[in-house]
Amino acid sequence: MPIPGSGLAKGLAVTLRTMTRRSHTAQYPDVQPDLPPRSRGVIGLFEENCTVCMLCARECPDWCIYIDSHKETVPAAAPGGRERSRNVLDRFAIDFSLCMYCGICIEVCPFDALFWSPEFEYAETDIRDLTHERDKLREWMWTVPAPPALDPAAEEPKEVAAARKAVEKLEAAAAQADTPTDPAPEGGAGA
Amino acid sequence: MNDVLDVALRLIVVFAVFLVMPLVIGQTEHKVMAHMQGRLGPMYAGGFHGWAQLVADGVKFAQKEDIVPANADRRVFQLAPAVALLPYLLVLLVIPVGRGEGAVGQVIDAGVFFALAVMGVGVLGSLMAGWASANKFSLLGGLRTAAQLLAYELPMLLAAASVAMAAGTVSLPGIVEAFEWWWLPWQITGALVFFVAGLAELQRPPFDMPVADSEIIFGAYTEYTGLRFALFLLAEYAGIVVLCALTTVLFLGGWHGPFGGDGLGWVWTLLKIALLAFAVIWLRVTYPRLREDQLQKLAWTTLIPLALAQIALTGIVKVAIG
Amino acid sequence: MSALTLAAGADPGFLSPTGVEIAFVLVGIATLGAALVSVTTKQLVHAALWLVVTLGGIAVEYLLLTAEFIAWVQVLIYVGSVVVLLLFGLMLTRAPIGRSPDADSGNRWAALAVALASAAALVWVVVDAFRTTWIDLDGPAQGSTKVSGEILFRHWVLPFEALSVLLLAALVGAIVLSRQSPADAPAGPDAPAGPGASAGSDKEHR
Repeated sequence: MPIPGSGLAKGLAVTLRTMTRRSHTAQYPDVQPDLPPRSRGVIGLFEENCTVCMLCARECPDWCIYIDSHKETVPAAAPGGRERSRNVLDRFAIDFSLCMYCGICIEVCPFDALFWSPEFEYAETDIRDLTHERDKLREWMWTVPAPPALDPAAEEPKEVAAARKAVEKLEAAAAQADTPTDPAPEGGAGA
Repeated sequence: MNDVLDVALRLIVVFAVFLVMPLVIGQTEHKVMAHMQGRLGPMYAGGFHGWAQLVADGVKFAQKEDIVPANADRRVFQLAPAVALLPYLLVLLVIPVGRGEGAVGQVIDAGVFFALAVMGVGVLGSLMAGWASANKFSLLGGLRTAAQLLAYELPMLLAAASVAMAAGTVSLPGIVEAFEWWWLPWQITGALVFFVAGLAELQRPPFDMPVADSEIIFGAYTEYTGLRFALFLLAEYAGIVVLCALTTVLFLGGWHGPFGGDGLGWVWTLLKIALLAFAVIWLRVTYPRLREDQLQKLAWTTLIPLALAQIALTGIVKVAIG
Repeated sequence: MSALTLAAGADPGFLSPTGVEIAFVLVGIATLGAALVSVTTKQLVHAALWLVVTLGGIAVEYLLLTAEFIAWVQVLIYVGSVVVLLLFGLMLTRAPIGRSPDADSGNRWAALAVALASAAALVWVVVDAFRTTWIDLDGPAQGSTKVSGEILFRHWVLPFEALSVLLLAALVGAIVLSRQSPADAPAGPDAPAGPGASAGSDKEHR
């Protein structure tokens, strides 16, 4: 049987111990928070990559992405060639009062033009000011961190694997070309 | 002329203590409670670790509108904060801080009775506030206040009577003068009963049923705003000062200390008061609120028998020594 | 009583009142006024609060007569406990804000007559008993705790003990009255309700 009052003493000990430890309070405006990688702060636009394919605007569940564009014809690169048309972005805006930070636009972008930025200090006093235009979105691109390193045992990314395979193939070819031990039969076989 | 000056000086000093000590304890409560809960507490007001938070609070309270509900009993409603606060000022007058005439506001022959009697009057303020607010929650708070006072006044008095028996006097300086170190183990039960009953009389957590915010909003103080509300809060913290000082004087030997001469007696007194105030805050942070029936049960079935046993023990030892 | 009184030799007289005497009379008048308001007011809780003023006034009178201990006991017991109990009872039953029309009684004239008669009797008895005794306020306190205790437990110990027996009897009587008798209990052990449950619940009720 426990000593009567031991529970009360235990409670006192807990609070006293907590008092001697560091507090958990984040002193935010004085000390910037240490955000984890892939924090969903705001969406940045890397407009040089954008082809106005409209996938993001169409997939957005909230319809909060506004895109205007026009077509331009590019004169033929070579004489006698065909003129090409190109989409030019006029407006790209995201209404962050509607956005629910689902990230579907970023997932769906085939050209890597949209990125998550950890920047979160963009509160406004008027809700209409929360619609941010392309210049602002472009500025946020600078706050996008480099992607975090993969886990040590992770599978190689597809792009890297493909690139590596291509490099290996080239190296192998070059190595074969560089080994002139018996070029004639090789060449003959190749021909 | 000299007498008038002397009295005026004493009154001013006591009044200054009355204004400063509750604020110091309030600020300590802010910080200690925060750190016990893993927080930082106020950090901005005044610059250094929010030392001026309560001053800022006071300015805020002073700016608020003083509202009296339409159906309230106007005069009683407005009088209640003063009735709640003034008794504690009066009690501070008689508490001896150091040895001799110079360290006490006014020597009173029956100091223990004076202190306890006047502290009991302070609760009348809560009762008046609870009734005059014309609000059922306030009335419930007032009722709980009254029930709590009736239950805890008795063990408090009995514990004080025990130490008065031991000292052979009811004067506060006399009791401290008679104090010996072995009174501490001798009167420990009485001290605990006195302190717990005092906490209950001040309605401090874990005995804060009269202001239980999750049940009856803020009890008797629900309808109060602005300065009058601040006066009630000040009364609570002044009450802590008074309770800790009384416990120090009655049970912990006031200005007696293991070392340091007569000149440093007041340091010992203040140190003991500060330690007790810390304990008050500590208890508040640690324990949840008791239920109303648990509260009554604690008073009538635990504290009063303990206090009576302490009186019997005191009597036996007193006779054995004498 | 010798300690409380002095010989009538140095009779100070009524025509040259001291400051304490004037204060005594003024506080007395205020106390009487508060008592009258407390009886005549139509607001229940106000009556209780005026009672606080009255009892406090009496405590001040004790103080002016240097009976410090009695004064503080007066505050402790009457203001701190009796009035709080009174207010508690009022709030628990009926304490409307504003006038309560039924706070008046038909036999107020009879009450007035009884009050006047008892007041006259008390005044007469006190005046007759203490006519020639004067309390020396300037010397050592005549009503200090030590003196009060000595008088109480030497000269008046028998009435004191009789009073405590009376109070004890009142206490026992209150407990007996508030206890439920077994016959009145809602579900006694003999009741034809549940066989075991009722007995258990009855036991818990006690």
